[in-house]
Amino acid sequence: MSIWDIAWKDLKTFLRGKTRVIFSILMPIIMMLMLGFIFPKTGGSYSGNIGIYSQDLIFNAKVEKLLPATATNKMIFYNSKQDLIDALASGKIMVGAVIPKDFSLSIALNRPVTMDVIPSPANPQAGIMMGQMLVGMFGQEGASNVKQNVQSNLINADGTPFNYYDFTVPGLMAMIAIMSVMTGLASAITRERELGTLDGVMVTPISRGSIVIGKVLAQTIRGFVTAMIILAISWLFFGVHFTGISLLWTIFLLLLGTFSFIGVGVMITAAMKEQETAMITMTTITFPMMFFSGVFFPIQQMPQMMQYIAYIFPLTYAADALRNVITLNVGWNFIWLDVVILAGFAVVTSLVATFTFQKLTQD
Amino acid sequence: MDKKKAIVVKNLKKYFKSVKAVDDISFDVNYGELFALLGQNGAGKSTTIRILTNLAVPTSGYIEVAGYNVLKDPTNVRKNIGLVAEKIILYDNLTAMENIEFFGRLYGMKDTVIEENAQKFLKLFDIWDFKDMLISKMSTGMKQKINLARALVPDPQIIFLDEPTLGLDPVSTKHIRDFIVGLRGEGRTIVYTTHVLHDIELMNVDKVAIMRKGKIVSIGSLSDIKKHFKKAEIVEIETDRMLSPNEVKGKILDQDDGYMKIEVEDLNQFMKDISKLNVQIRSFKSLEPSLEDIYVEISEGNDVEEQSKMVNVKE
Repeated sequence: MSIWDIAWKDLKTFLRGKTRVIFSILMPIIMMLMLGFIFPKTGGSYSGNIGIYSQDLIFNAKVEKLLPATATNKMIFYNSKQDLIDALASGKIMVGAVIPKDFSLSIALNRPVTMDVIPSPANPQAGIMMGQMLVGMFGQEGASNVKQNVQSNLINADGTPFNYYDFTVPGLMAMIAIMSVMTGLASAITRERELGTLDGVMVTPISRGSIVIGKVLAQTIRGFVTAMIILAISWLFFGVHFTGISLLWTIFLLLLGTFSFIGVGVMITAAMKEQETAMITMTTITFPMMFFSGVFFPIQQMPQMMQYIAYIFPLTYAADALRNVITLNVGWNFIWLDVVILAGFAVVTSLVATFTFQKLTQD
Repeated sequence: MDKKKAIVVKNLKKYFKSVKAVDDISFDVNYGELFALLGQNGAGKSTTIRILTNLAVPTSGYIEVAGYNVLKDPTNVRKNIGLVAEKIILYDNLTAMENIEFFGRLYGMKDTVIEENAQKFLKLFDIWDFKDMLISKMSTGMKQKINLARALVPDPQIIFLDEPTLGLDPVSTKHIRDFIVGLRGEGRTIVYTTHVLHDIELMNVDKVAIMRKGKIVSIGSLSDIKKHFKKAEIVEIETDRMLSPNEVKGKILDQDDGYMKIEVEDLNQFMKDISKLNVQIRSFKSLEPSLEDIYVEISEGNDVEEQSKMVNVKE
């Protein structure tokens, strides 16, 4: 009987917190609906443009004639590998293929030949599938057995072998940094409120805005350190490569990504009287964000409606920019929109948080 | 703005939906006064303190602290106040000195001044040797002393002490009580709430307000409140022989040998009656009701309106 008493007491105290109960019910509903809707119901077809950088003039003449553009898969030729990479970064093409000089000659002589295929970092699954389709198409142009001699070499823009981790690691970095900050905020504000130390701070002459900025700064530094650990592990153990510039961009984007979400976090935790309620509310928001923002599953493969929802979350932009920087090693020209949107999120939510903090924390 | 008044509260109301936590109260506190706010749990004391310290927004009313309107000029109010709340305002994972430094800096104080003031208060409390100890390792009594030091280091003019002796042992309680009396001696204004009525009597407070159900049901100096609530005289008399109930014409509360404690309706009449008796009076004392008697009488009243309209006992 005493076991039930303990269980009943725990349940009763839990049920007394209205917000806590509401978010506990919402959490599984949102999760299941979201998971049910974001993944496509059928295998479907991969649509997107194919980028070609060919060093083989014969190939150019033949392929342009034989493979005219279609509505869904247009083939675009580029003059350099960098142009091809830029097109991948800007989302103009889903996959890039680099055709070597001796491609046509090798096919004609029935010699094995390899073309490099660079999948889009935003949607590598589609890129890989379309790369295989290319191998099939080009192989059929030779003798009956040449199909087997054309092979694809899946690579990143810097020539290193591609793996799926390259797609997930940038999003993961941003996500873990943001999650750790959100947890930290629940502790920094709601816990302080429970303990009474927040009253001690609020009764001093320091402005409410300074309190918010101080809290945001501490959590941003915390999130940044977490992100640096992720970055180091991905570099040491999983072969994720950084150049000097891409490393600087990565650090900047991680800071900005973390900062962009803190205003929302401050508002949530300031409005909650109990730490547990703040944590449940945070989880209800951050967990779906993880799936919607294309960290594990490409946004481009989600149904259109779900794609619109994905663009509500700042993590979507942080993950996109980080992927371009880490995987394609491109800079400002290809991530400026993400940066502007993230900065917009950061400024607007932080300002709103600063102005509402007083109201949210006062009785 | 009254320059003599440290605190001015006019028609203050704070409603939480249908609950009237503070229901139209008015009072003022002069600079240098020790003002005690009494009342049962839920009477509205802490809510009043939270409004005065800018931690809660009133539903309506005018509040002035240190000469500044709390709603219009909260920063200047906060520059002049210190708070010791029911919950200890210290970070467990910081040392005593780190806590004091942190809060001192929020007042814009220089580190050297913080250190100087901290030394003064921690030595006064006899805990200077523990300045580098983590708060989590300290006893409740030690924590409360550090907490007081934390509130006093910025040298506030007005100090709000909300149940500062809650959970402390009698020795620590006495130490803190004596210290608070000393603070008043330095010219600081102190607003003090407590359940320990004995403390109030010992501290010789300047003014007492008793709250019930969000209202102030009595306010004034302790002696005036006692006089006001004195419904019957209680006398202690020692005589050379036992007196009978017929002789004393009052309610005998206690008696032993020649000693009697009697409740009489009219003290003058009692004196006249007793002087006519053939009895030698060895000692005579007229007793005042204790604050506890008054507090219980007010707190147990069925309805504030019936019990008493606000009793403003002026000196």
